[in-house]
Amino acid sequence: MEKIIILKYGELSTKKDNINYFIKTLKQNIGKVIEDVDFQIYYDFGRMYIYVKEEDIDYCLDRLKNVFGILEIIVGYKSNDLDIENIKNNVLDLVKAKEFNTFKVKTKRSNKNYPINSMEVSRLIGGYLLKNIKNITVDVHNPQLLIEIEIRNNEVLFYFNGIKGLGGYPVGTLGKGLLMLSGGIDSPVAGFLTIKRGVKLEAIYFESPPHTSDFAKEKVIKLCKILGQYNANIKLHIINFTEIQETILKNIPHEYLITIMRRMMYRISAIIAHNNKCNILVNGESIGQVASQTLTSMRVINEVVKIPVIRPVACFDKLEIINIAKKIGTYDISTLPYEDCCTIFVPDHPVINPSLKMATEYENHISYEELIHKAIKNHEVININIKEENKYQDLL
Amino acid sequence: MIYLDYSATTPVSYEVLDTISKVTKEFIGNPNSLHALGLKSAQLLESATKQIADIFGISTNEIIYTSGATEANNMAIIGVAMAHHRKGKHIIVSKLEHPSIYAICEYLKSIGFEIDYVKNDNEGLIDFDDLKRLIRDDTILVSICAVNSETGVRQPLKMIRQIIKKENIATIFHSDMTQAIGKIAVNFHDVDLASMSAHKIFGPKGIGFLYKSNMIKIVPLIYGSGKVNELKPGTPPLPLIAALSKAIRLANDSLEKRERFINLLNNKIITALEQYPNIKINKTKYSIPQILNISIMNVMPETFIHIMDKHEIYLSTNTACSSGDISSSIMAIYNDIKRAKHTIRISLSYVTTTEEVNKFIEIFKEEYEKIMQVK
Repeated sequence: MEKIIILKYGELSTKKDNINYFIKTLKQNIGKVIEDVDFQIYYDFGRMYIYVKEEDIDYCLDRLKNVFGILEIIVGYKSNDLDIENIKNNVLDLVKAKEFNTFKVKTKRSNKNYPINSMEVSRLIGGYLLKNIKNITVDVHNPQLLIEIEIRNNEVLFYFNGIKGLGGYPVGTLGKGLLMLSGGIDSPVAGFLTIKRGVKLEAIYFESPPHTSDFAKEKVIKLCKILGQYNANIKLHIINFTEIQETILKNIPHEYLITIMRRMMYRISAIIAHNNKCNILVNGESIGQVASQTLTSMRVINEVVKIPVIRPVACFDKLEIINIAKKIGTYDISTLPYEDCCTIFVPDHPVINPSLKMATEYENHISYEELIHKAIKNHEVININIKEENKYQDLL
Repeated sequence: MIYLDYSATTPVSYEVLDTISKVTKEFIGNPNSLHALGLKSAQLLESATKQIADIFGISTNEIIYTSGATEANNMAIIGVAMAHHRKGKHIIVSKLEHPSIYAICEYLKSIGFEIDYVKNDNEGLIDFDDLKRLIRDDTILVSICAVNSETGVRQPLKMIRQIIKKENIATIFHSDMTQAIGKIAVNFHDVDLASMSAHKIFGPKGIGFLYKSNMIKIVPLIYGSGKVNELKPGTPPLPLIAALSKAIRLANDSLEKRERFINLLNNKIITALEQYPNIKINKTKYSIPQILNISIMNVMPETFIHIMDKHEIYLSTNTACSSGDISSSIMAIYNDIKRAKHTIRISLSYVTTTEEVNKFIEIFKEEYEKIMQVK
């Protein structure tokens, strides 16, 4: 019997007319992650079937674990023999080596011309197993082993309990967003959670050379590579923020430094988002974590943009965020000790409850529109390809 | 020239030499520096380490670069002893270890540690019952090499680990894998600590690494600065590290196929030498084919090595690291002092050719029969 990969879809039951769009996008996304091997994908509204060579199965499973929109990944078996006696024997062969005390057989018959109906097939096979394997019983409510049989036009599929997929929606089905990525622990997690909901992300990073180093930029690129695994590559916008930051430092009272700086970042992000057809901004702000993340601060900062700002970790505790960061592998990179532009020039006592009136007042002292225009004009774009060969491969 | 001493050291392969030269010329920055050259070096260091980690299925922070296996053995054994001496001062090693392990044990004995030597059977396999008996509540470390350097006897590390952890879950397991890596498949997850060296696998001398599982703690032997690794501070030797990484990649390519080929060569030599009653083949069913140990009972091994030297055929008496003494490994396996005094080690590699082996056999027979006539 040939092996075959069967996928159950994630949260698609709420979709009606556009379910096809979601499944097609998932198919495209899967095609991209396993493009290195020969494959064929078929799907219906309940399942997706991937046919690959047996030696490529482990590789594919490994890649599919990072694809959103999949509820369960199952390795099943395919047989072209539709004869009921042979189906019985095939099932017996497959389950013989497994350890279980209770089981249930569930049959699906998409081939309606098949002479025996689904219930009857399940009954026949269940009876056959009971006769041939000792000490097992049927439990229809809580079976240890669920044996699923699917009778299709030219083939029968057999499968058992699978492994959990990532869930969520297929990436890209919900459009695009722009992630404000700092290099800290929170923003990559915020990005991951947003990708999970089907949003394809681009990222924006503010650097302040010479105050921030190339190591810090390198760190953000590494974070993007990790997020890129879920996002099918990622586009990173790098804004040189030095001039703006230095101007703020020179002209604005220090307690308002962070407030004004964040307002500038929001303005730039909103323009970049608009230019790249991103519908939302995403960031790693968490309520109350630092002075710029109090509710009043958020309100004063958010006031400069009209685009919706999604804060996936707003209500998470730091420990909850760290747990996710560790799980997705960004934590060790995020904690590398390089300064980013939010951590340089931190005033001793930043204002906790900034006033909107004061902030606009102070801002009017600097001609920020010109500076913003310049920063956007000169911004650098890196297309981060997760499959990019190691650039020193020839030396190693 | 016929070089048959690959287990003592190997020549550096052209590919690896190329890496050393290029990295030396092009990567002048210190990976610890903040400037662009430093970053470039740091990136190469990271890629090299990642390649090693990926090959062995471990994390990059579990790799500590050392000057070779001797330093790695010191770092592992003394590092464990110093970190865990409050829990106990008992250490177990086998009788088939590399001399550096015994030297470390002697030092530890002198400062109050207790060393026990686990027995092995006459096939060279660790005596599991003896090991079980020796492990106590205060046993902090067991060190058993993956492959013995003199006879090539390979130990079942997974099984040994299970026995150790069943008797005392806190006992740490170290294995000197110098003679195993690049010759046979190894699994680092069978052990807590493992040592290796590049110059046994066509890499340069002066570089190796210690694998240290993230689950255990050891204390550093040397202190200094640098962000690469707290156990081995100082500026990392980037050309050597890149070379090590490349040597490991090349050595782990088609391991099984190479092993099968070397096995053929090994059998060829055995078939040729078996016919002489005074030549004993020191091979057990656990020996790997790359190392073939024989005892020429009626000739002093030094004499024979010198004779072969004239033909530009290079062999070892027991191992390069303990030349002159009797072979402790042969003694441990066969308990025959004469056999242990007369050992010669022929070590093969995948670059050894059938012609070389044929030529070696031919000259060996000729010279051996000549000596016999004199006697």
